[in-house]
Amino acid sequence: MAAAIDRLWVQYLPLTEERLAVLETAAKAFAGDRLTIEQQQAAHSAAHKLAGVLGTFGLIRGTELARELEIIYSRQDGPDPALADKLVEIAAELRVIIASRK
Amino acid sequence: MSHSILIIDDEDDIREVAALSLETVAGWQVFTANCGSEGLARAVELKPDAILLDVMMPGMDGPSTFRELRKNPATAHIPVMLLTAKVQSSDQRRFADLGVEAILFKPFDPMTLSDQISAVLGWK
Repeated sequence: MAAAIDRLWVQYLPLTEERLAVLETAAKAFAGDRLTIEQQQAAHSAAHKLAGVLGTFGLIRGTELARELEIIYSRQDGPDPALADKLVEIAAELRVIIASRK
Repeated sequence: MSHSILIIDDEDDIREVAALSLETVAGWQVFTANCGSEGLARAVELKPDAILLDVMMPGMDGPSTFRELRKNPATAHIPVMLLTAKVQSSDQRRFADLGVEAILFKPFDPMTLSDQISAVLGWK
């Protein structure tokens, strides 16, 4: 069972990385004060999906971080400007967590 | 006793892990659909013992799919459990008000998902 789950992780890693890339792009755009509504919505959706998926593959910390981003990106008037650095940091931590899973 | 279950989820990775889990750990017959409309058609065609239904899907979302399942006499009796990554209590209340059998949460443990479902449905 564990081996089969590992195979699914590898099979869907490109999809996971696509979702992560959406979060990284949004975080950088927000830090540069050029986050569009479409990017925010895409980031909200990507964070929601990662929150559901990462823990299922054993990455509970990944789910916690993705959930944090989902909440931040859910604000209708955009993320709190004070969180610009945090968005970048969380996306970077997510990349490390995802890369750490074999 | 073997059971059959239909998983309706647009996320390929989640759908496949859930299917693998229920087939391998519980030995159930698992059917899948990747959207609400396909799920409705498969439910009519296959008459599964239960349905595991994602909440957030493009097009027909989980609550809309559930209402359609309940409207159709061919599927109205099938127990439906929602599967969601939404953890806010306001969302949970809204989902519970629909009349679903249970709300299960993502992430889930593939080793125990079938236990959760069995407990909800009283399956041995």
